[in-house]
Amino acid sequence: MNDLAAATAAPLAGATSSAKIKVRDVHFYYNGYQALKGINMDIPEKQVTAIIGPSGCGKSTLLRIFNRIYAIYPKLEAKGSIELDGENILDPNYSMNRLRTKVGMVFQKPVPFPMTIFENVAYGIRHHEKMSRADLEIRVEQALRSAALWEEVKDKLKQSALGLSGGQQQRLCIARGIALRPEVLLLDEPTSALDPIATGRIEQLVEELKHEYTIVIVTHNMQQAARCSDRTAFMYLGELIEFDNTEKIFTKPGKKQTEDYITGRFG
Amino acid sequence: MSAIYARRRITNGIAMVLSGFATLLGLIFLVWILWITAQNGLSALNLTLFTKITAYADQGGLSNAIVGSLIMDLMALLICAPIGVLAGTYLAEYANSTRLGASIRFLNDILLSAPSIVLGLFVYVIIVLPISDMTHGTISFSGFAGSVALALIGLPVIVRTTDEMLQLVPGTLREAALSLGIPQWKLTVQVLMRAAFSGILTGILLALARLAGETAPLLFTAFGNNFMTMHPLDKMASMPGTIYQYTNDPNPALHAIAWAGALLITLFVLALSLLTRIMFSRKKVSYE
Repeated sequence: MNDLAAATAAPLAGATSSAKIKVRDVHFYYNGYQALKGINMDIPEKQVTAIIGPSGCGKSTLLRIFNRIYAIYPKLEAKGSIELDGENILDPNYSMNRLRTKVGMVFQKPVPFPMTIFENVAYGIRHHEKMSRADLEIRVEQALRSAALWEEVKDKLKQSALGLSGGQQQRLCIARGIALRPEVLLLDEPTSALDPIATGRIEQLVEELKHEYTIVIVTHNMQQAARCSDRTAFMYLGELIEFDNTEKIFTKPGKKQTEDYITGRFG
Repeated sequence: MSAIYARRRITNGIAMVLSGFATLLGLIFLVWILWITAQNGLSALNLTLFTKITAYADQGGLSNAIVGSLIMDLMALLICAPIGVLAGTYLAEYANSTRLGASIRFLNDILLSAPSIVLGLFVYVIIVLPISDMTHGTISFSGFAGSVALALIGLPVIVRTTDEMLQLVPGTLREAALSLGIPQWKLTVQVLMRAAFSGILTGILLALARLAGETAPLLFTAFGNNFMTMHPLDKMASMPGTIYQYTNDPNPALHAIAWAGALLITLFVLALSLLTRIMFSRKKVSYE
């Protein structure tokens, strides 16, 4: 596997924009069990990077290092370095507050807060910034518009977010994330709990959001990766097997394992 | 094939009959208790119960006991609800998977099943005796001491339900808030407590229902009083205490009043349970 590591560490072919996140030799341990083995990758700015691979390959683990959300649990450990705009976020001195305003995250299941629709979006903004009610209302509206939810909820902002449908809840979670104006948006299987129509809307949204944000999406669904990402990373058993332009991964994969996976021979 | 099915059907039938019978047995006793209480209590239920004090004995009522119980139950709740909710929050949010947390949970379960008379004696030793010594006997037994003893009954119930209700809140909600940069304390108070609110409130009401019926913790603490008082440092009458006293009396007229008192407590607890039920059924919007 040494040649593999060397291959992925080498400058990446076809990268069209500069790297927003540089992952260098990242190892991850769950209570001593090694889940990631020397990951190296450059995540390009303002593009969609999809991470695919079978269950347990470490794709969600990798995503959860990008905002250090793993750190809320004991006995989890990440080694190596992840540079966000040239600064190592794994450095304990890197402010968690700063990191979490720069990197937003959306989870597999929609988890709105038990508050009104307005408050769900306003909550995070209010914590980080002091502003007038009028400014706050503008920010909330912008976020809901960017998440393609405004038209559906503008008349019921004062109602509980728990009354929304699953797809709406997930778009609300995206709105909540982008309301903080992050630079990176992490999506952890954001559509796996949604029906095809809601999934379509989220994918369309991802397409629109990439003009402003660097997006990393973990997905089980290969068609989804093919549809909405610019670059795709294939992971297997804690290693990054191949990382290239999405089109190349799905049409002319460079590795046998990638080909086997995308053609459905395992996974 | 059919032999297997026949055996399964027979086993199923036996299990159903046994569990049905057990349920029926429990229900019979419950209905029986309610029936006897209602039968004996309703005939003695009248307005004098609420207007006259126990000093008039069989010519009197229970007003001082009703007031005493309400005061002590509420004071007890004021003491144990904040402590219980905070302790439960600590267990669920800060000490969840630690050894300290596990030990505290274990101790709390012991307190939950501690004999209530022991808690009464404990409060007698730590509050009643020292206050009596300090005031040279002017103040000894008091409604305050009674409510501390009752608070010890309610405390573990609230700790446990708060702990459990917070643990039911999905972990992803915590992750979602933390990934927005919300600090732990804000997350706990503004998101998790809100998500678990009706469950926590249910726990508090259940604790109230539980402590409202306790007699033993009050024997050496509130003592009892035949006159009306609202001063927390006076000896104070309570409903369960008065019922206990009256049923030990040879006078049948007092027995009747005791039954009426028993019915009142039962209705109070029933009302609390119904209230919690209604609250729970309204909380159907949950995280699936």
